[in-house]
Amino acid sequence: MPQKSFWRITLLSVTTVLVTGFGAPPAHADIPERKYSAVLSHLLNTVMPPKLDEFHDAASELTKSIKDFCADPDADDLKDVQNEFNSAMDIWQEIQPWRMGPLVANGRDQHIEYWPDKHGTAARQFRKLLFSKPASYTDPAQLAEASAALQGFPALEEVLFDDKNADHLSKGDEDGVFLCQYGSAIATNLQTITGELLDEWPEFAEAMSTAGPDSIDYPTAKFAATDLYRALHEGLLIISAQKLGRPLGENEQDAKASRGESEVAKRSLRNIVHNLTGLFAIYDGKWGGVGTEGAGMASLIDNSLLDRSFRLNWQTVIDAANNLPPSIDELLAQPDGYAKLSEFKSQIDFLITLVENDIGGTTQLGGGFNALDGD
Amino acid sequence: MRHQRREFLKLMGVGGAFTLLPLDIARAASTPAIEDRAVYISASAGNADDYYVSAFNASGKILFEQALPGRGHDIGLRPNHVDVAAVERRPGLYGLILDRHTGEVRAKLHCPEDRRFYGHAIYSNDGRFLYITENDFDHARGVVSVWDAKDGYRRVAEFDSYGTGPHELHLMPGGEQLVIANGGLHTHPDFDGRTPLNIDSMEPNLSIIDRRTGELIHQTALKHDWHQLSIRHLDVSANGTIAAGFQYQGEINDQVPLVGVWQPGKEIRPIEAPDNVQYRMRQYCGSVRFDASGQVFGISCPRGGLVTFWDAKTNDFLTHIAAPDGCGLAATDRPGEFVGTSGLGNGWRMDAIRRKRVELPDASHKSLHWDNHLRRIST
Repeated sequence: MPQKSFWRITLLSVTTVLVTGFGAPPAHADIPERKYSAVLSHLLNTVMPPKLDEFHDAASELTKSIKDFCADPDADDLKDVQNEFNSAMDIWQEIQPWRMGPLVANGRDQHIEYWPDKHGTAARQFRKLLFSKPASYTDPAQLAEASAALQGFPALEEVLFDDKNADHLSKGDEDGVFLCQYGSAIATNLQTITGELLDEWPEFAEAMSTAGPDSIDYPTAKFAATDLYRALHEGLLIISAQKLGRPLGENEQDAKASRGESEVAKRSLRNIVHNLTGLFAIYDGKWGGVGTEGAGMASLIDNSLLDRSFRLNWQTVIDAANNLPPSIDELLAQPDGYAKLSEFKSQIDFLITLVENDIGGTTQLGGGFNALDGD
Repeated sequence: MRHQRREFLKLMGVGGAFTLLPLDIARAASTPAIEDRAVYISASAGNADDYYVSAFNASGKILFEQALPGRGHDIGLRPNHVDVAAVERRPGLYGLILDRHTGEVRAKLHCPEDRRFYGHAIYSNDGRFLYITENDFDHARGVVSVWDAKDGYRRVAEFDSYGTGPHELHLMPGGEQLVIANGGLHTHPDFDGRTPLNIDSMEPNLSIIDRRTGELIHQTALKHDWHQLSIRHLDVSANGTIAAGFQYQGEINDQVPLVGVWQPGKEIRPIEAPDNVQYRMRQYCGSVRFDASGQVFGISCPRGGLVTFWDAKTNDFLTHIAAPDGCGLAATDRPGEFVGTSGLGNGWRMDAIRRKRVELPDASHKSLHWDNHLRRIST
């Protein structure tokens, strides 16, 4: 059976169970505030901090690795730096969809990764930078005040993975020396930013998990928890519309892998796998070895069938993602690559439908009268 | 710039909003309280597709509910008269003239077949004419219709709005000009009347026309990169400053301004909140209102569940107050103070200067979902 048909039948069967099993949506009693508070506390106080630690450690390892490399450039050692880049990027991609609090304060998420970059700003500025090689860009403190497009992962990706730049780095020529110093500054700056994140997170987590009438920012726990629902919902929307939709273009002829994320490092689809890990943690409450299964948004769902079907559908998408190569470029090079990529996007779109219709409704976090249908 | 924002936020956390406010605003805030005897009026909804125009007093006590044939939107207030105009939200077919004290229907307006009402209406200062934004959908053209209140609300004229998808409109100071937010979105009843059909090519603008002749006096638009910022809502201060709220039709993580300030004759000036507030505005502003002093304006962001407040003199962001599903905003007679309403049924008194939010004490207003806009009728 072709993969597409099989997949559709699997999903439809689950949907059929849902429809026949539930009939008309029952009137739900309000979910008690304490349940929202428990989810907030678990996800923000227990689950996220170790992941931010992990991110900070990964940025520190990356910094050390690039500095070691620059002391004695060598093509094999460059592979080690690239591996450290990938490790740091993996954990960042898991954290990236949790767009809230200190992650978005002061444009931090964009400083970590300037993306999406619709106008190719990073590439344009990078070319200019290599031409003029200003010393200020080799100083992490000064770099932190520079354009966001030149200070995070995409810029470091250009330094480490672009073939020409990698060649300069390995040779240790004039361009290579500048790239090394600039790359070290980017990594050091990332280390600083991830340290700030670690420092600022607890205050935010505390404010969210102690939401109540006395809080001017979070008057109810339910209101605070809408940020979690939105992160889950918007994270999937971004994967569909931007991480997959933009490279797919209007049709097969219009498809362009370079419109994907992290395509210089050939890891656009690997990013999505990690996004899905971070997003599912919001629902499930367990993230790798951290947290407790069922203590996330799932704990607000008093319906085991709906919970099981959502998990099954999510796993189907994870399985599909794991069967794809790490980059869209590689996938589109396959004869049926465009069809596979389109199919993967439709799987993500189906998850979005489930989140909007089932999760948003059952958790009562899907938005109010004005938010859902304003004018 | 980012550094300034960081410092501003630090100050907010340590000293609170009050310490940051310009002296003249802070001074105005110390004006003694005046008992609020006003009536607040808004479109609303029940739980079963039932729609109303409802009024409540300053305590939140419901005064009347008048059933509507469909979902309303904004309410136009006829100066020195009992009439208020409730126009169906887009694509609207009806308009009702109601008695502001009882909700009794005093007149009915019917939209021409080839037009649709767009939810907002405003009276001339003398109360003679009612102006309503409409969609000439076959020509993707916005119009402002003119209805003579002294002649049984006869439709007497129609002006070009000089844009597509006109939404909120207001009188300019002096009362001889109308400013119209042309949202830029083309819709057509054949496609449900609400789905945007031209997101790639939309061109929103703010236009000021002569209310008697329809002549275009001023117009402004955002730069082309921001053409997907639908300019939908606005308010005008006594000195003619126009504050506008945008609704972004592009990606959820694009970084775009959501608020603009316009002095007619100059370019519109887009302004932004600090990043973590800007992000929480969720690309969507629902309602705009100047306070009684004209020095502060509030912009509600129902998708983000907050109301943002801005200094009208400096165009700086002042503060924000959480308001779950909050959208309706009306200025009280106290500087910096607003009453806000929510689709979840809440009504609050909000003090932008002291950064305070207090629930209206009477619970009767909580039985309704309050729609996008709130008006205050002073007594």
